Amino acid sequence: MRQEGRRRVAGNTLAFLKNHAPFNKMKADALQAFADKAQLVFHSAGSEIVGPEAGNVRYFYLIESGKVQARQAGEVTVTEYSILSLGAGESFPIGAVTAGRPSTNTYTAVDDVFCYQLPAEDFMQLMTSSPEFNLFCTQYIASLLDQSRCQLQLQFAQRANEQQTLNSPLVGIGSRSPVAVAPETPVRAALETMSAAKVGSLVIAGEDRKPVGVFTRSDLLDRVVLADLPHDAPISQAMSPAPFKLEEHATAYDAMLAMATHGIRHVLVTDAEGKLTGVVSERDLFALQRVGLRQIRQSIDGAHNVEALQQAAADVRQLSFNMLAQGVGAEQLTQFISALNDALTRRVIQLNLETHNFDGIEWAWLAFGSEGRDEQTFSTDQDNGIVYAVPDGLTVGELKTRFLAFALDVNKDLDRCGFPLCKGNIMASNPQWCLSLDEWKEQFSQWIRVPQPEALLNATIFFDFRPLFGKVELAEAMRRHLLAQTSSNPMFLRAMAHNALDVEPPLGKIRDFLTDLEPDHPGKIDLKKYGSRIFVDVARIYALATGVHNTNSVQRLRLASKRLSIRDDEVNAVLEGMDFIQFLRLQHQYLEGEPGTQGDNLINPDDLNELDRRILKESFRQARKLQTRLKLDYQVN
Amino acid sequence: MFGIRKFLFKDGSPAHLPDDVKAAIEVWRASSGPQLDEAHFHVRYVVIDIVSSGLKPDSDELLGIAAAGVREAGMVVPDDAFYLDFSAIEGEGEAQQQAVDRQLMAFLQFLAKAPLVTYHVPYVGGFLQRIYKERLGIDFQPNWVDLAWLLPSMFEEKSHTLQPLDHWLDLFGLASGSGRRDAMENTLMLARIFQMLLVRVSGKGIDTPGRLVDESRASSFLRRTH
Repeated sequence: MRQEGRRRVAGNTLAFLKNHAPFNKMKADALQAFADKAQLVFHSAGSEIVGPEAGNVRYFYLIESGKVQARQAGEVTVTEYSILSLGAGESFPIGAVTAGRPSTNTYTAVDDVFCYQLPAEDFMQLMTSSPEFNLFCTQYIASLLDQSRCQLQLQFAQRANEQQTLNSPLVGIGSRSPVAVAPETPVRAALETMSAAKVGSLVIAGEDRKPVGVFTRSDLLDRVVLADLPHDAPISQAMSPAPFKLEEHATAYDAMLAMATHGIRHVLVTDAEGKLTGVVSERDLFALQRVGLRQIRQSIDGAHNVEALQQAAADVRQLSFNMLAQGVGAEQLTQFISALNDALTRRVIQLNLETHNFDGIEWAWLAFGSEGRDEQTFSTDQDNGIVYAVPDGLTVGELKTRFLAFALDVNKDLDRCGFPLCKGNIMASNPQWCLSLDEWKEQFSQWIRVPQPEALLNATIFFDFRPLFGKVELAEAMRRHLLAQTSSNPMFLRAMAHNALDVEPPLGKIRDFLTDLEPDHPGKIDLKKYGSRIFVDVARIYALATGVHNTNSVQRLRLASKRLSIRDDEVNAVLEGMDFIQFLRLQHQYLEGEPGTQGDNLINPDDLNELDRRILKESFRQARKLQTRLKLDYQVN
Repeated sequence: MFGIRKFLFKDGSPAHLPDDVKAAIEVWRASSGPQLDEAHFHVRYVVIDIVSSGLKPDSDELLGIAAAGVREAGMVVPDDAFYLDFSAIEGEGEAQQQAVDRQLMAFLQFLAKAPLVTYHVPYVGGFLQRIYKERLGIDFQPNWVDLAWLLPSMFEEKSHTLQPLDHWLDLFGLASGSGRRDAMENTLMLARIFQMLLVRVSGKGIDTPGRLVDESRASSFLRRTH
């Protein structure tokens, strides 16, 4: 009965393992091997679990409950954290046990901790027998990220499903308050009602609200005008009787089928008693189907007014969501949103150029900030400006007045398309940011010469510029000027570095996350302020230091690290961390934002699932790692 | 089936036992248990829970035993565990009876006279005592550590009164929340509490199994009589 005893103890361990990555992905026999050999050990609060003095590591530890703090012994190296905290489901010291050497960290139980410990030889055995476990240990971060992405996809796919399949019941589709009149209503009065409500069709229903007919604009031609029907005749004589009806719980698919079969454009929706509750039109059903990239591009490029662009802007949002559902990564997605938003902005500019003429003048529309970096999320406000070259015979003042008037129109139109006006007034319609090429150069030089706090803040916005429309060469000239200035001005970069280190990732020494950094939002973490911005800031500094022309943070980090000979895997880990934080922001803004409102970047880590929490922690560690490097490179303490 | 008292002997092995069991009992009797004045680290404890048809050791039936060793001052190893479900023992008539006796013997060998840990000794010990007396003719008197009485005196800050086990699990944050546990799950929960207890008692100078057993006896005596 000892086998039975072992089986049951191991069964207990298995139950735990099955809830935690990577074990939940391992094959049954590998998992069983782990459970058969894993010993459960208690470590009281404050006691050391394993450290450098303990010699070669004898166990692989997996935390079952409680918190463990890892503290790096000796001198802190460039690439590693100095202190981190681990929670249930996390394991250590993977590197040391794999290499059969002493741990470089001291692991201490923060509170009462139960750990499964797997003897080193069983650990090595498992590494050879389980590819999943091996992958996990060798690609710790990367494999976790993949799993999380799969979970996200699932979540989005479900949401997409709920939102937009043809299986949705009619009760949630189309107009809920259809315009209806009584059968005895005179034709003229009925037409007035249609005109006032700006609708193309009318439902004819009795006092019991049961529909008896439909009257559409095409009926007007055939049954009123051509039939010489007097205007005071009742509408019942002109309507199409016996309209097609479906009950509320019928699906959109049923409605679509009915339309195709009967050649009709409207289906009336009734409740169980046959009373009118809504109308579904052909257009409502089209809207349910997925919007494609090409259609959006076409509708943007072919838009003749702002109203058409508004619809396209809504489609961009819908499409981005669909792409999230299909599992497109944050990096591609933000670039994609940017690309479509660019097209939209260009079209707004073009439309406004019909009333503002700048023939013979070289100028360019600039995007700044996240738009300039191709890193827009769903809720991004406007950050833009104008650069122009002053031709002979014109003064700066004259040109500026003309550009400002034009910019104001563009800014307003963009606002109507869903890009809110910038609260900080970083917009082309602000005389400060509607400058000639020489003025921009001088402005840049001034910020670099005198790196006051305000200048540094401006640098973080304006140095991420990108030409969106017009003469690209002007922006290139600005960039060459900027890079020449920054690369020869170490003091400025050091000040930037100092600034970038003001905010640290919200990692607790004991708790996983610090959630009290924002006094107005206790329990929440600002993913932009304490997450992505850290990566963005560091990327900018290295880009300026190494003369990288790109503004996108991912590209900046990739290119700059090549020039600085930073290892690829190190950079990839950083980029994955950044990608994940961006992903969480997108997810949060889409899934939690009220439709039509600006999403925020505040998340409560307790709301995340355990895997995401762990990856978020790892991502923040990557941010910290990046900051540590910056600190050393620029000697900022 | 265990209610028959005709195999009751004061001393020596009952005549009906198979020879191998009789021999094993003699070996077991002659064996010495661990030194109880060694450090906790050097002594293996065994945590036990049982399943019974009722709460009265004198009349109700013992249905199962789950036990896990705790060594090196708090390590639970899957290889060092024992689970006996009497209803799962196969065979009929005498063969089945012999199989039961062999399993009981195997359990004694598994215990190896280690100090035993459980929750509420009169209940668990009562059943074990009766079955060993009746079937193997053994007076089962191990060294007991009773968590029911020790916890209130060792973890006063959590509770200083006797509590049902589930309350303690809550207080230690061990509540699994998945409803009823089987005997082995219960044993593993007790093992966890015991792992914590070992750290606690060492801090109080109770640094050997002998002292822990004494402390357990004293706590139950004091509590019951005051």
